[in-house]
Amino acid sequence: MGPCGGLAAPAVRMTDARRRGRVWGLVAGQAAVRGGRVSAADVCAAVVPGVAVSGAWLSAALDAQAGHLMQVTDEVGRQLADLQLTLGEGPLLDASASSGPVLASDLADAESGARWPAFASAAGMAGAAAVFVFPLVIGAIRAGVLGLYRDRPGPLSDFQLGDALVFADTATMLLLDAQDGATGSTGPGDGPGGQPAGLASYRAEIDQATGMLTEQLGVSITDAFIRLRAYAYGNDIQLADVARDIVARRLRLFPDPDLPLGDKT
Amino acid sequence: MDGQLLSETFVELTDTMVADFDIIDFLHVLTTRSVELLDVSAAGLLLADPRGELRVVAASSEAARLLELFQLQNDQGPCLDCFRSGQPVSATDLSADQRWPRFADAAGDADFSAVQALPMRLRDQVVGALNLFRAAAGPFDAEAVHVGQALADVATISLLHERSMRRRDTLNEQLQTALNSRVIIEQAKGKLAERLGIDVNQAFDLLRDQARNRNQRLSDLARALIDGTQAITGPSNGSPRASRPRTRQPRLGPRPAP
Repeated sequence: MGPCGGLAAPAVRMTDARRRGRVWGLVAGQAAVRGGRVSAADVCAAVVPGVAVSGAWLSAALDAQAGHLMQVTDEVGRQLADLQLTLGEGPLLDASASSGPVLASDLADAESGARWPAFASAAGMAGAAAVFVFPLVIGAIRAGVLGLYRDRPGPLSDFQLGDALVFADTATMLLLDAQDGATGSTGPGDGPGGQPAGLASYRAEIDQATGMLTEQLGVSITDAFIRLRAYAYGNDIQLADVARDIVARRLRLFPDPDLPLGDKT
Repeated sequence: MDGQLLSETFVELTDTMVADFDIIDFLHVLTTRSVELLDVSAAGLLLADPRGELRVVAASSEAARLLELFQLQNDQGPCLDCFRSGQPVSATDLSADQRWPRFADAAGDADFSAVQALPMRLRDQVVGALNLFRAAAGPFDAEAVHVGQALADVATISLLHERSMRRRDTLNEQLQTALNSRVIIEQAKGKLAERLGIDVNQAFDLLRDQARNRNQRLSDLARALIDGTQAITGPSNGSPRASRPRTRQPRLGPRPAP
């Protein structure tokens, strides 16, 4: 620690890569227990013991649609996911609107009561005392929502919050991979051990290149990102390097998926 | 130190911290004012992502080289040291500094000789840092350091002001939302650059001018561009860079009441 020992700096105590590796190990372990290929549903199961919550749910979004419930770990999780749709208020809807997490560590406190008068009490009746909702987003790309709840009030610690965000990132990449699977152009993750590369470490150029590809390919931001990753994977090049070439206009991708994916100009 | 500019800046910054203000534009203005007030060459704000990284949320210039210098400090550099210690960290002559060799090399390549990092502190927590670069070597003026710290404090408060100051949950919500807004803006910069055949820096200026003209938040316009619900067809009047404001901008931030 530095000269000011009372100050907490928990966020950099563990490097991002190590944290991602550990979280991926927990998710992959869950898939192994289930006996299937790693999917976003495994994140839902792994995050519960991973950040010490009581249960979780995961919804996949289809563009801006509310999406469908993919996985719940228990009945309370199912009720929490349903409640917000029937009540028209709640942390899930707020998280979708802001594209940022909503952290309600005590649904019985005044702030939660003021924010969601109907949801806070209904969620309490269902058995939840704290709710944490993480939108599965990369900028304007929306892949879904990961919800967590606790049956007793209390915040996620800084460490648990960091892990929860990385679980959410992992679910985001797995949901995008699954969408890509439908069009069949890429393989598994692009990180070590099939792990999707981390989102937090993405450079601005990857986001810029994704935006450029929406124009080059005439596709949505989600599809642009999927194509970018597919190109990197298919050509065995780092995503950041492909992105840099696109931003520098040394590389263009072309719309027709039957043609070669891109050409150096 | 220009006393008039100093007081105008603080009036401007506090004036714009109304409900529903544009945090990204606000922090961008804060970094550009830092450059003017503190006699430095470039400034950036880095926030501590609970995932375990320092991430740039605003910078006085969108030059890729500058952004890389911020990013590099996830491995070594004054910002990382400042974040870890909660104390200001400075290097008055990077060419002679042994602490961060890789960072010093990269800063030298970008023609910076002196650097300073000032902590963004909230009670017992360090939430990020204001990073200042100067082309010329030499010590930082003591008065400028005080003003710089005041600007870093304003940046910290702006992350929280929308809702209760008491909850750590609120800070984390705002921080993640701001970081994701930054990603949306990068995506929109790329889309705009490709559509109009301009570079990404020009795209940022254009996006920002248009957001102000339309009284929209930067991130809202950026999302609308990506979703295709709004379009920007080209620079509104002359080159986008020419309209970057130096003096007080009355229409900073707040959106019209719904």
